[in-house]
Amino acid sequence: MNISKLKDLLIRSLDEDADPLEVSGKIEAAGVSYNFRENFHDKVMDKIYSTGSAVVRDIEFVKSLNYVFYRIALPGVAAILLLLISIFLMEGSLSLNSFLGMGNSNDESIIYLLTGN
Amino acid sequence: MIKESYRQKDDAELVKASLNGDTQAFGEIVTRHQKMVARTVKSMLGDSVFSEDIGQEVFIKLFYSLSGFRGESKLSTYIQKIAVNLTLNEIKRRKRFFSMFSQKGNSEMHEFEVADHDLQGAREATEIVNKALMVMEPKFRVIVAMRMLQGYSTKETAEILNLPLGTVLSRLSRAQEQLKDILQKL
Repeated sequence: MNISKLKDLLIRSLDEDADPLEVSGKIEAAGVSYNFRENFHDKVMDKIYSTGSAVVRDIEFVKSLNYVFYRIALPGVAAILLLLISIFLMEGSLSLNSFLGMGNSNDESIIYLLTGN
Repeated sequence: MIKESYRQKDDAELVKASLNGDTQAFGEIVTRHQKMVARTVKSMLGDSVFSEDIGQEVFIKLFYSLSGFRGESKLSTYIQKIAVNLTLNEIKRRKRFFSMFSQKGNSEMHEFEVADHDLQGAREATEIVNKALMVMEPKFRVIVAMRMLQGYSTKETAEILNLPLGTVLSRLSRAQEQLKDILQKL
């Protein structure tokens, strides 16, 4: 087959009414073929059933971890922001005492805490 | 080597055996479908080491997703979907990578010169198809690969690519126009 004929066949293969199986068969007969290298099969089996599988599982684990992180990260940040805002509104500041739930109005000496005076 | 008995089993039996830990059964699945995967991956990415890697990834993905295969479609269609998705992802990744280094929008566009003479052999014919495909936009390239090289009908192509039938038909027509232009320049 010469190049003009091959080009024609390639173009006609995309006609809406062309039989795709017949045309792909003709294209293959014209010599258009794709193959992996000889050791492809062995490489795939090695990767799956020997040490490679651990690597693949690791990659899958990291992917899952990333997925979980993104799912948790945003709601987590939103929850922290809400907590900060609510503490600020209730306590009026974002000091350590506010976080611990102790008001700034009392002077917390050990005696005051023990005696209440 | 794979036993003769595995060659006589159908895909569903091989899947079942693979899920039960039969390595030879999965080996037969690889043998049976590797040419189809090569056609998809190599026609869309070109003949390189990367294509071999993507091909291997297709079967590794298949292995780990085999339990999710419910047999509603043919195993070949299921494998084809994995191959197309991984290949399109690789094309996107390459595009992103090359766009960092190139100001040109379409870095894959090249001019080729091929004299009109009798084809010397299979390699030359494959080279012409590859050159034409590499110049095409990926969304058309995948349609051409499915139709022209795999022999899938429009309906099957739509199912594999998860696209409406109308979209496949319009892309097929535009792909044909694009292919005509490209082949004229070749």
